[in-house]
Amino acid sequence: MPLFGKSQKSPAEVVKALKEAVSALERGDKKAEKAQEDVSKNLLLMKNMLYGTSDAEPQTDIMVAQLAQELYNSNLLLLLIQNLNRIDFEGKKDVAQVFNNILRRQIGTRSPTVEYICTKPEILFTLMRGYEQQEIALNCGTMLRECARYEALAKIMLYSEDFFNFFRYVEVSTFDIASDAFSTFKELLTRHKMLCAEFLELNYDKVFSHYQRLLNSENYVTRRQSLKLLGELLLDRHNFTVMTRYISNPDNLKLMMNMLKEKSRNIQFEAFHVFKVFVANPNKPKPILEILLRNQDKLVEFLTRFHTDRSEDEQFNDEKAYLIKQIKELKPLPDH
Amino acid sequence: MGSERAEEPIHIVYSDEENVLDEEERNSRLFEDLEPASWINDEDTDVTTFFHRVDSDQIIYEAKKKRCKMIGKYVMGDLLGEGSYGKVKEVLDSETLCRKAVKILKKRKLRRIPNGEQNVQREIVLLKKLQHPNVIGLLDVLVNDEKEKMYLVMEFCVGGLQDMLESTPKKRFPLWQAHGYFCQLMDGLQYLHSQRIIHKDIKPGNLLLTLSGILKISDLGVAEALDFFAEDDTCYTGQGSPAFQPPEIANGHEKFLGFKVDIWSSGVTLYNITTGLYPFEGDNIFRLFENIGKGEYVIPDEIENPLRDLLHGMLQKDANDRFTLQQIRQHPWFLRKPPQTLEEVPIPPLRGDELHNMTVLPYLMDYHYVEDPASGQPQYYTEHERNAWAERGEQDTYPTECYPREWADQLGDLKSKESSPKKFQDDVGYGNSNKYHGDDEMETIADSTKRKTKRRPTSCISVKKFPPCKQS
Repeated sequence: MPLFGKSQKSPAEVVKALKEAVSALERGDKKAEKAQEDVSKNLLLMKNMLYGTSDAEPQTDIMVAQLAQELYNSNLLLLLIQNLNRIDFEGKKDVAQVFNNILRRQIGTRSPTVEYICTKPEILFTLMRGYEQQEIALNCGTMLRECARYEALAKIMLYSEDFFNFFRYVEVSTFDIASDAFSTFKELLTRHKMLCAEFLELNYDKVFSHYQRLLNSENYVTRRQSLKLLGELLLDRHNFTVMTRYISNPDNLKLMMNMLKEKSRNIQFEAFHVFKVFVANPNKPKPILEILLRNQDKLVEFLTRFHTDRSEDEQFNDEKAYLIKQIKELKPLPDH
Repeated sequence: MGSERAEEPIHIVYSDEENVLDEEERNSRLFEDLEPASWINDEDTDVTTFFHRVDSDQIIYEAKKKRCKMIGKYVMGDLLGEGSYGKVKEVLDSETLCRKAVKILKKRKLRRIPNGEQNVQREIVLLKKLQHPNVIGLLDVLVNDEKEKMYLVMEFCVGGLQDMLESTPKKRFPLWQAHGYFCQLMDGLQYLHSQRIIHKDIKPGNLLLTLSGILKISDLGVAEALDFFAEDDTCYTGQGSPAFQPPEIANGHEKFLGFKVDIWSSGVTLYNITTGLYPFEGDNIFRLFENIGKGEYVIPDEIENPLRDLLHGMLQKDANDRFTLQQIRQHPWFLRKPPQTLEEVPIPPLRGDELHNMTVLPYLMDYHYVEDPASGQPQYYTEHERNAWAERGEQDTYPTECYPREWADQLGDLKSKESSPKKFQDDVGYGNSNKYHGDDEMETIADSTKRKTKRRPTSCISVKKFPPCKQS
């Protein structure tokens, strides 16, 4: 035993001590201050086991495996996340670092922590609800995006009721939280192409009725970001079915035509990239065709004067010329 | 032949098999085959009036100046590589001070390649709208109509997987390294496919690396963009590299599934970078396609199971049975990073520089610190010295030593005596001929009817010196 400093605690001891401290913090009794101190201390110990320090290497694989096993058995990860708002500033960051490290752990092709979280989806739901609390929102965000890298976990999140709360989170008034939520939201909808395409197809109505609200948001940033993401989603070939469905709905076309006229040039530009798909569609449904025909002359005139200063963007100009030509050549469907 | 010969006081015999010989050279080669001793000492023969024996220390080259040249806002550096379409040089963006690469395309050259101009146009259109860490970024396109040249400014890469493979004795990577590249290839490919683009020419030669080891899929010259509303990925044409083509193309099917073509060639690529071999070979393209068409191949025994299974999945003869990108991404070999047991294969050094230092710097030094370039003492070196460097493996380095003044004087004399018409281009060269690093400025004044392919270093003695070209 070394003379100075404490002896090395075993993973089991650290987990046990941390669990007791967090529980004490949760109870909020008189010893809260002491508990806070213990939580910070043990979190730091745990973090150093996984990452090492400037003068100590990370622990051996066996120790890390023991620590992971103890974490699963004690259900400490959930407890930490549930009480994240009670832990001090540095401690919150340590929780996120420990969580992300343990999550990335692999044994062969298996990711034991991913498997563990699959059996405890409550962890994910708690993390997602973290966006409701300002002081822990960003910490939860880093953990959520790490989780979203794994298809199994992304699937649980996408298909949960809590996912639809994101449509609210991306609009909150605190800018950094809203944009953090948006990047998690985007990650979930774009990372795993097949999973996302399937999710969007199965939940088309619900997702796009919610999405409509983002596009009509009062908040400029929300409107612009969500419109850009919509463009990306529709133009991705994996979402072919969703795209064809989206462009056959006349309400969507009307919305895009209105967005083409928005005050912000950036929104106009993003709207153009969605609008072009409606026009280029070789099999336009009747209602879509009717709207375009009704506005034929106005659209041609509008597009001719649309963003004429983007002269160096060849692709845009080609597309614009193509759209103008298409709209000019539109003919009504023969009556039956 | 006689009259032509007479204009040339000294003729130097080279023997470089790789060069396309023009008539002159072919004639000289006839004599080269003779045993020199049988005629060279015979003063009376006519031959010696045409040919003087020249010792290797009598042949003088002038060291090439690093004359600073700018294309738009880009400062040109050294050659990085050469493809069928033209040269690739390193450049420095003078506004951002970022290293970039520029692909120099000559319309003249392009016209001679089937679909050359079309392919380049297509590549530009495609690359412009793509943005992904594992797909080469096209940053700028400059055109010089006068010189019929096009400059494609791209992200800077230090080398390709093919060069790296060739630098190793067994032509393969350790598994962990191959795994890293393969994962990046799949990321880039997934992006391309999501953008409806079929690359059609995936192979180690088209996978480049940045200094930080990020893989970039490059060369979209034969890629195809599907129609936006196309229901599936049916394609009708394939013009990629034969050894990487799938059975449906080798068997000449009229139409085939595009995405599966890229899966197959990625499979051949994975096979190649992990074993150093090709799954299908043949003495000629017909044999090769015959073998691919049969779809029978052997995976070496040393390849163990998760990888073996993945290769089998990607090299399924029937495109419908072949793995999809999703299946590959879920495959055990893909999910698990192999342990880092063997040492990493590094990117081979460029002209002896392992660190791949910026090559634009000497040009900038010349521009800023040489007051009057005309008065600067030119540097000369001899064939003999050049051979000595070559033996020491430094054939591509620039000589830095100064040479005795006499050389320069002697050279001046020779030049003033020379009065033949401007017949040869100013190819004051160095290095071995198939790695010629000429200044392409010179090209425009060269007599373009001859010798447009690879050029050899030419001695100062037999060459009329042209004044250096001014920058455009």
